[in-house]
Amino acid sequence: MTLRPAGRGLLASVLLAAGAGCGQNDVQVYRVAKESPEVAATQSAPVAMAAAGQPAAGDPSPELQWKTPAGWEEVPPGEMRVASFRVPGKGGKTADVSVIPLPGMAGGDLGNVNRWRGQVGLAPVTADELPKLAQKVEIAGQAGQLYDQAGSNPSSGDKTRILAAITRHADTAWFFKMTGDDELVAQQKPAFIGFLKSLKFNAAALPELPPSHPPIGGTMPGVSELPPSHPPIGGGAMPGVPALVAGPKPNWQVPAGWQEIAGGQFLVAKFAVGGKDNAQAFVNVSMSAGMGGGLLANVNRWRGQLGLAPLTETDLAAQTRTLALPNGSATVVEMSGTDARSGQPTRLLGAIVPHGSDTWFYKLMGPEQLVQGQKDAFDKFVQSVKYAD
Amino acid sequence: MALDKLVKFFSSLRLTVVCLALALVLVFWGTMAQVDLGLYKAQNEFFRSFFIYWQPNGASRKIPVFPGGYLVGGVLLINLVTAHLTRLSFTRKKAGIWMVHAGLILLLLGQLLTDMLSRETVLHLREGQAKNYSESDRQVELAVIDTTDPKLDTVVSIPQGLLARQKEIQNPALPFTVRVNTFYPNSKVKDREADSVQPPAATQGIGPRALVTELPRETDTNKRDTPSAVVEVLTPHGSLGTWLLSEYVEPPQGFALDQHTYKLALRLRRHYKPYSIQLLKFQHDVYAGTDIPKNFSSRVLLQRPDKGEKREVLIYMNNPLRYAGETYYQASLDSDDHGTVLQVVRNPSWLAPYLACALVGAGLVVQFMSHLIGFTLKRRNA
Repeated sequence: MTLRPAGRGLLASVLLAAGAGCGQNDVQVYRVAKESPEVAATQSAPVAMAAAGQPAAGDPSPELQWKTPAGWEEVPPGEMRVASFRVPGKGGKTADVSVIPLPGMAGGDLGNVNRWRGQVGLAPVTADELPKLAQKVEIAGQAGQLYDQAGSNPSSGDKTRILAAITRHADTAWFFKMTGDDELVAQQKPAFIGFLKSLKFNAAALPELPPSHPPIGGTMPGVSELPPSHPPIGGGAMPGVPALVAGPKPNWQVPAGWQEIAGGQFLVAKFAVGGKDNAQAFVNVSMSAGMGGGLLANVNRWRGQLGLAPLTETDLAAQTRTLALPNGSATVVEMSGTDARSGQPTRLLGAIVPHGSDTWFYKLMGPEQLVQGQKDAFDKFVQSVKYAD
Repeated sequence: MALDKLVKFFSSLRLTVVCLALALVLVFWGTMAQVDLGLYKAQNEFFRSFFIYWQPNGASRKIPVFPGGYLVGGVLLINLVTAHLTRLSFTRKKAGIWMVHAGLILLLLGQLLTDMLSRETVLHLREGQAKNYSESDRQVELAVIDTTDPKLDTVVSIPQGLLARQKEIQNPALPFTVRVNTFYPNSKVKDREADSVQPPAATQGIGPRALVTELPRETDTNKRDTPSAVVEVLTPHGSLGTWLLSEYVEPPQGFALDQHTYKLALRLRRHYKPYSIQLLKFQHDVYAGTDIPKNFSSRVLLQRPDKGEKREVLIYMNNPLRYAGETYYQASLDSDDHGTVLQVVRNPSWLAPYLACALVGAGLVVQFMSHLIGFTLKRRNA
């Protein structure tokens, strides 16, 4: 009674299979092409990329318009870019111009300037030295800073210059950058400044953080708990209910000067309110089934967005007022602080309206003066709402 | 002889019965456990394991209490093979039995191979978007990307299994050591207020402005964990600082070192392919006048530059794309109907169960026919 050779063969094949299954936990090193223009040209906005302010499919950049300077060639934008240009110079030299939006503060000016300085082999500067390097320029009608750094590329040794400008608009930091041969970029500087001046943000598609972005800075009622790149799991089962969007829109009277704009997936509606000097505030309307987490949690969520410490239940009553509605009442809260995303002083007016089994949230948020001036309009708007049922 | 005893033990029919009984209990228990553990964890703990462990409250060690799927299946396989090799002689009369047993062995082996070699990933595409990689839907990787080269990125991918061990990772492609200070298998990242008393998550990148909290592991089948990690970059000259990496944090954070620029990202593990797939159009049809789904389909463009291949394919339910050893199934969709989720299955041993069943079926037919023919011949001669 002994094993025949066939038995040994079988055993060997099992061991071989076991060996092939290993290696799942090894470090892998591979080289991949950066996004090629052909692929990138058709790259639209997957949920994850939308967080970086990437435009939607088929439209090069719905939130931004510009005038292309003479001699610049528009090329398909690559990863993270909403616009990209090639600027040809003498002797086959070229410069690259990129437009990249990033949510929030995106690291602040100092970190970025030092990163660019590193790219041309310059030593980093301190926060005190930074203002001396900034040149005031006009970007899309707003004041912005231009940083000009020249040196040599540490890896190739070529003389290189980077012109970079930053402006912040609707919770997004916009980076405009020209990189290339020192002489060519210096020569193109007026054209670059002209380009910055020609930029125009379209109010209709202001990129606030998309609702699918994970809630850095407070959660919204009903917001997905998953990160943006989270794929639907449990393949095979097709969800029969297509959208998570909150129910039908109620009827309301939109105050003068409010413009309805594209809201996010979890918003019932969103309005942009313009003020002096391009100031802009936004009104978000959302609905949550049930209590939506309760009054205190929502007030504290809003306080968190403005960098304020949370309130306790006892403090809450002193901070809220009641607004009479045709059917019932709304709890209104007002607060001022610093927007955690933009770092700008911001005022927030919030109204919470229980209706049937749902809770409705109205939030007006923007620069102090503008929001204060819209207070009555906001109250009247909340009072004007006639719910669908 | 000891070997003879061993062979006798492994070829005994009693062992077969015990294994089958254990398998019966295991399947029932494992199925019930999915209620609390979720499908994925239950599969790992009950079926993809040698033992089922129990950890008493407060104890640091786990005690094996029941054989797991690998052990029961493995013993059953050895039992079948040894019994076959020792007890059955190969005669024409027993050809059918041989075939049936070979089919069963193939079935068990095929399952083992599938378990070890198959890979399920996900390809999420928005309309117009093209990708040349799919992503694991449950495993993350720490990608350290050298972006210095203007054309090619060098990616050092550190799998979740290594991150979870929280140790120092060195690789010849990196002039520094990556130390995993903390790994959170499931977590939540929040903004840290400027006056917060809680220490910041990390010193570099978004770290000073973020707080990370550990969450219990996700057991819901439709959800998954969202890991985060705090890693430190150690150079021969000292530490460059710590970074908080998480899927919550975008885009990749980075640093420059020795005239190279590096990016760090904790992302779903990527599996690159020599071809790209672009979603041209996603279609979600409903029955007229209702919201009831009738059909989901994805029209994709398959491109493989090295072979000059470029063709359109329509993928819909029960009509997957089979290409280069992978099968792309229509699995899910984006809520706005402008994106698709394809499940990408690579299973080199996908034929094994088909062959096994055919072999068992043919074996049964042969065995039955040989008896039938023998019987009729005997009757005729009688």
